Amino acid sequence: MSRSNEQKWPIPESTQEIENYMKQRVGLGISFDLGVRKLKVLKKDVQIYYCNGLCDTRFIIELIEELVQINDHEKQSTNLYQLVYNRLLNQSVQPIQTLDEIVDLVLSGQIVVVIEGEHTALAVDVRSYPGRSPQEPDTEKVVRGARDGFVENIILNTALTRRRIRDERLRFEMIKVGERSKTDVALGYIEDIADPDLLKILRKEVKAIKTDGIPMGDKTIEEFILKQGWNPFPLVRYTERADVAAAHILEGHVIIYCDTSPSVIITPTTFFHHVQHAEEFRESPAMGTFVRWTRFLGVLASILLLPLWLLFVLEPSLLPKEIAFIGPNEQTNIPVVVQLLLADFGLEFLRMAAIHTPTPLSTAMGLIAAVLIGQIAIDVGLFVPEVILYVAVAGIGTFTTPSYELGVANKIARIILTILVAMFHTPGFIIGSTVMFLFVVHMRALNTPYFWPFLPFDPKGFMQIVVRRAIPGSLLRPSIVHPRNRYRQPPKENEK
Amino acid sequence: MANDQNIKNYPKPMSFPAMVFWTGLFGGVFWGVIGYVAYFFNFTEISPQVIIEPWTLGEWKNGWLGKVISIFIIGAISVGAAFVYYLTLRKLKGMWFGLGYGIALFLVVFLILNPIFPGIKPFFELSRDTIITSICLYMLYGIFIGYSINYEFELNKVQVKEASS
Repeated sequence: MSRSNEQKWPIPESTQEIENYMKQRVGLGISFDLGVRKLKVLKKDVQIYYCNGLCDTRFIIELIEELVQINDHEKQSTNLYQLVYNRLLNQSVQPIQTLDEIVDLVLSGQIVVVIEGEHTALAVDVRSYPGRSPQEPDTEKVVRGARDGFVENIILNTALTRRRIRDERLRFEMIKVGERSKTDVALGYIEDIADPDLLKILRKEVKAIKTDGIPMGDKTIEEFILKQGWNPFPLVRYTERADVAAAHILEGHVIIYCDTSPSVIITPTTFFHHVQHAEEFRESPAMGTFVRWTRFLGVLASILLLPLWLLFVLEPSLLPKEIAFIGPNEQTNIPVVVQLLLADFGLEFLRMAAIHTPTPLSTAMGLIAAVLIGQIAIDVGLFVPEVILYVAVAGIGTFTTPSYELGVANKIARIILTILVAMFHTPGFIIGSTVMFLFVVHMRALNTPYFWPFLPFDPKGFMQIVVRRAIPGSLLRPSIVHPRNRYRQPPKENEK
Repeated sequence: MANDQNIKNYPKPMSFPAMVFWTGLFGGVFWGVIGYVAYFFNFTEISPQVIIEPWTLGEWKNGWLGKVISIFIIGAISVGAAFVYYLTLRKLKGMWFGLGYGIALFLVVFLILNPIFPGIKPFFELSRDTIITSICLYMLYGIFIGYSINYEFELNKVQVKEASS
């Protein structure tokens, strides 16, 4: 941590001194992945520092070839720096003046060429990081639509966005986070749309992060920025889809990219950002609206179904005549609430197991889980069949939530509500759900009311949530992002 | 983005009173529907239909038409409640004043206006569940009205400040 306060040393003329510095500071000769290639060009020392694995060997060989050929074509060594600078065949050659920069750049995967007798070294960007190429994200699949998702490389991620928004006002501000990891974090936004106040807050918060490293990537950034505490509801939305990120940038959101994370953070976020999905916008507005309503139903069922049914089991008098047939028709030895919680936790076991199980085994595991456990639990008299039914529906409802984080938060809400109903019956249900609703409503993420546009009510914004509007008709950007430019498209001539 | 002559063609943001109107209407209808659902599941003995019960109307008032009409009447009354909030309390910051407004409305309806509605029993004869459900509904409704109007007010204030600076 003290390193950052250290004086910045200029590059000495003697290459020997530089090598000693690298040995001391970076452990050249101890760490196997750091190396130096020493050349003689016109009888002067030229050294190339590199970090194995982060740069492309083929490019380096070509550069060395060029440098060595200087010996064949040139005789005067007085102008060696200019010669080398010219011969480094790469579009990104950056002169640097301090030893600190050499270290930073070599460790980021660039190669640094130092020349005897010169105070300036040359950094060449030949980086090639190990990583996968863009592929469809697992968590946000669509039937139709772009299949390129973000990857672990921030350069590729910003490039995927730039491919979709060629606007000259698109900005990617780079901030380094982590005293030791020096991870790149970028704020992506459009200059004349994004809210400057939000940008100011985000910039300040990201710069204020003082930690050694952020190996958990964007999640750690989120925790530093939003100070979530024990609140289970997700305060930001993550996406791995490049088209979703681009759509939000155009709406005036600020996107936080973090190197080594295949997802980006969308800010500011409300509850309703978590229940929308790219697929709605890939189908006709009618179909998109239908899909959205079905999803709302699923989300609602995932929270309320179990507590409500439990309430009817405990207080059958509440059931209206029309649906009085509902309820456990068999008697069991175990209280229904215990059955519900057991089944719900069983489902949670399955979910966790499915994540950790290798793919070939998970199909088999799913069969075991679905057929055997459910049926046998009924046969041995542990569960009544209704428990399996309602827990399964609530479980599926959890997975209809496009945001994984919100799905899990809803699960916690459901369990709390179930326990409250078991303890206090009707008042438990009414007061419990009211308090929970109030809790969600009073949340603010980055100064944005969490339940906007329902509460505080915004008629126009709410219509955008209720129906998936056709894009040609949506003239305005959502007011919640406080866009500097409210209009997405010019109005038609005949419209008033 | 577009040339300036066109700018008057752009859709205007909603005016404050219009927003209050829609908030009141939607709030009344939405929480009326929730109230009906609560009645359907016997959480409360009071159906939204109590609103048309004082009048002797046709047989339809007990059918589905009566339900729909009474929910819309609640919506219309709610517009009035929203404007009362707008005129008196809009400057009070935060959502908790809305909650207080809801409780105040509850007290007015259940204690003072109670005799008007034959469908609502005297306050002390209501069941515990009915009182709890009603008070929760009124609280949520009050927050819906109060928080929305105050938020819009704060938003307008910021925009006016930005425009003048």
